[in-house]
Amino acid sequence: MKIAAVESWVEAPLQRFVDEARARLALLLHPSGQVVAQAGFTRQVDVMTACALAAASHATASELGRAIDGQPFRVLHYAGPEKQLFLASVRTPRGVYICLTVFDDESSLGLVRMYFDDLARELAAVTPTMPVQHGAVLAVDFEADLNRNLAMLFGRGEEIIIRNA
Amino acid sequence: MSLVNYATREITCKIVYYGPGRSGKTTNLHYIYGQVPDDRKGKMVSLATQTDRTLFFDFLPLDLGQISGFTTKFQLYTVPGQVYYQTTRKLVLQGADGVVFVADSQKRQLQENIESLQDLHANLADQGVDARTMPLVIQYNKQDLPAELIHPAADLSDALNFRGVPELSADALHGPGVFETLRAISELVLKRLSAGTPGAAPR
Repeated sequence: MKIAAVESWVEAPLQRFVDEARARLALLLHPSGQVVAQAGFTRQVDVMTACALAAASHATASELGRAIDGQPFRVLHYAGPEKQLFLASVRTPRGVYICLTVFDDESSLGLVRMYFDDLARELAAVTPTMPVQHGAVLAVDFEADLNRNLAMLFGRGEEIIIRNA
Repeated sequence: MSLVNYATREITCKIVYYGPGRSGKTTNLHYIYGQVPDDRKGKMVSLATQTDRTLFFDFLPLDLGQISGFTTKFQLYTVPGQVYYQTTRKLVLQGADGVVFVADSQKRQLQENIESLQDLHANLADQGVDARTMPLVIQYNKQDLPAELIHPAADLSDALNFRGVPELSADALHGPGVFETLRAISELVLKRLSAGTPGAAPR
């Protein structure tokens, strides 16, 4: 299964994890719900939805842990009839990431946990320490593209204009 | 934090619809969901109570298409407006690139609007975000209701828009103002990426 990553430093560790743990789907994301890398999803919009829900589950489990046990739960496991889900956080020098893993009877919870521990160690070790660059990304005249795309998206022939109230 | 993938030339931005309970945040997303073609949107996810009040959030992923050579995707979230969902609002607000504040134009809701806006500023401050740097658009929703029940947009502006941010009147149930609001916040968020300000974090 091929990895699609926003940040290239996560590719190799995540690829090893997916192969060795025999995962069906894997997602690495920021706690805010933004995807960092994924394997197994076919539609980008499904990735975004899975990230939003995984971030929400992780946040909920953390708060529940604080309320019950005085500290956040770091791991969540759900066993469905055919597929199982493993959700856990990875602490790196750049902050916390969340990993969602879906597996079936080709693998097991023990196997996933074992290789997840390896993944967490590897990610922490290879996290870049260089500061993030803040350069301009879009051209200054991006507004024409934005107007055209929004008009197409909402089935409007004419440009959408901002009106003040 | 906008996520920029230079390898695949993709940008992903998180927009949060904020405001008091029943102001029309979910209605905004429902209207957008109903209008956008299937191939440009994901499933709309609503984590709601049995009475359809937002419990955790609503979520709608949108593919805006190519902007300056980047495939641009927006993640639209709503927060639960009810006062007692404070913790949830903080979680959803985390990492937001822009906020749409949906105000309820009804006269009896003015105080709730003010408190919700104060709550937004407090939650941003808790996350170490200077509210003045966060792209913000204010929508005065329910302007279609009878005049005797609502404040005119100008009065709401005096009460809520002390920062002078873009503001729009809307009737989210039927559509007027919904797309214009999305366009306004899109422009503010993407402007940061074109300016290369610290709010944008290319990787």
